[in-house]
Amino acid sequence: MARLALLIWSLGPMVWQLYTSLRPTEALTGGLGGGLGGPGGWTFAHYQQLLHGNPPFQIYLLNSALVGASSTALTLALAVPCAYALSRLGRNASRSLSLLVAAAAAFPAVLLFLALLELARNWHLANNLLALSLPYAGLCLPLAILLLQASFRDIPMELEEAAVMEGMGLWQRLRWVLLPLMTPAMASAALLIFIFCWNEYPIALTWLSRSDLLTLAPAMARIAGSSVYTIPYGAFAAATVLGSAPLILLMLLFQRQIISGLTQGAIKG
Amino acid sequence: MTQSLNTSTAAGLRLRELSRRVQQQTLLDRLTLEVAPGEILALLGPSGCGKSTTLRLIAGLDRASSGEIELGGAVITHLPPAQRQVAMVFQSYALFPHLSVERNLSLGMELRGVPRADIARDLEQVLALLQLEGLRQRRPAELSGGQRQRVALARALLRKPALFLLDEPMSNLDAQLREDLRGELRTLLRSTGVPVVYVTHDQHEAMGLADRIAVLREGRLQQIGTAAELYNTPTNRFVASFLGNPSINLIETPERQLGLRPERLKLAPAGSSCEAGWSMLEGTISHREWLGDRVITHVQCPGQGSLKVVGDAGQAAGPVQVRWRHEDALSFERDGGGRLLPLTTRSQ
Repeated sequence: MARLALLIWSLGPMVWQLYTSLRPTEALTGGLGGGLGGPGGWTFAHYQQLLHGNPPFQIYLLNSALVGASSTALTLALAVPCAYALSRLGRNASRSLSLLVAAAAAFPAVLLFLALLELARNWHLANNLLALSLPYAGLCLPLAILLLQASFRDIPMELEEAAVMEGMGLWQRLRWVLLPLMTPAMASAALLIFIFCWNEYPIALTWLSRSDLLTLAPAMARIAGSSVYTIPYGAFAAATVLGSAPLILLMLLFQRQIISGLTQGAIKG
Repeated sequence: MTQSLNTSTAAGLRLRELSRRVQQQTLLDRLTLEVAPGEILALLGPSGCGKSTTLRLIAGLDRASSGEIELGGAVITHLPPAQRQVAMVFQSYALFPHLSVERNLSLGMELRGVPRADIARDLEQVLALLQLEGLRQRRPAELSGGQRQRVALARALLRKPALFLLDEPMSNLDAQLREDLRGELRTLLRSTGVPVVYVTHDQHEAMGLADRIAVLREGRLQQIGTAAELYNTPTNRFVASFLGNPSINLIETPERQLGLRPERLKLAPAGSSCEAGWSMLEGTISHREWLGDRVITHVQCPGQGSLKVVGDAGQAAGPVQVRWRHEDALSFERDGGGRLLPLTTRSQ
């Protein structure tokens, strides 16, 4: 019973969005007497409208995917060495540094937008999708470091020492022993970062102005605000469905890895 | 790779005044010892005595504060672990959990740049030697404790080391398996022909496996010698009490402390007279442990506490006399615990 409630709670809104996206506009705005299963039938018109728009909607998806992937890669590339160093430092040093990292994670990011806008202008970073990875990585880095640090700590020291005794250098140890054992933590960190980038709105809004470079969030806001007199429920719902589908897919893909990583366990007998 | 180190075949491992201090704490205090090629030396002591510290210093996992480590005639004190030609078996075995047995064994060789053909050949050899052929595709989590130990040993063997280090490799196994494996392990380690340093807190393991035993306490070497030397002529009270099961009885006399091995004590009827060359104490039997091959009788002696006597079953309760030959008693300084040599042996 509780499971059913949970399912309805989490899937209900999505199903509703899906339903909305497949109904003609008249049915949604009440012009046809509305209600579930009311007249009007089903339509792909909203999707067609989005996919044949100017620019077509899949451009936004691609942009967001590009920004998300590059930000995730950049964040992890920076976070892994940081977390490793933090986990191997002396207790006192690592505690105070971790505190600093936590403070950075807790800093209200809203306060940074103006300064970031200045940066974008001065360094000509506006309208550059890859450049958007810089603030994104900066914002995600503290959390990623803390997450990975905890998982580095969970790897027994003896395991790395065994690798040292086998003659492996630092990079070899990371590549062949430590990182493979951290796959679950890296997967969850990557997922969190990717979702953040996928959803991020204010920085994307201020850094990007060319319509063919927009990421998903500002693009959807444009759809919503495209007309003063009517709210394009259908198109908006279709955009939501298209925008969340890749995330759900990613989640499903990563989920298996996370679970298998958790059950692998057993370093000591 | 291995030939260069065999230039001076006589020299095995040599530690000279090796110390490690962390902040104010001295973990190891001027340890000096030698291990010959083909010899198995056990480092024995309670936890915190410095035995694992010593092993980590030799391995290069920790830095020595002072002193020198020499292996095969070359000083390796400041070499990084990878260049020391030392293999180590960890207490937890430290197998890579994400790799199969085969990959666990081959990874190190691959990364060290050993040619593929050599890897395959050595791998087959060591898998056969340790009877691991059937397990090559298994992950460590799918192995029993004994199998994991064999994989860890195999990995160490494949390192083709000039020195073998083992850190309590039996502590994760159950008691029965431990005893069964002792002989096998001894043969295997011997066959390598390199010095072996074996850390343990288990006296039976040390006595059963090692050629010589070094007893450590609080970072200091107490005594080094064969099991018999340590047992029969301990340098101090600590070594005397640490070896032997049941442990040695200590009784107080006006001038010194006497150490009496439980199996050297005899029980006699209470109040019986003593022959020349014997001493005795009167007491009461408090309880007995029947262990199959022997009986441990606990005798409560007024003013001396409880004495353990190992021997045949005699009376089960009541007053009794405990007696011993003078030459079987070890005498120790009351304060320092150092052993006082008996006058008789000194004159001989």
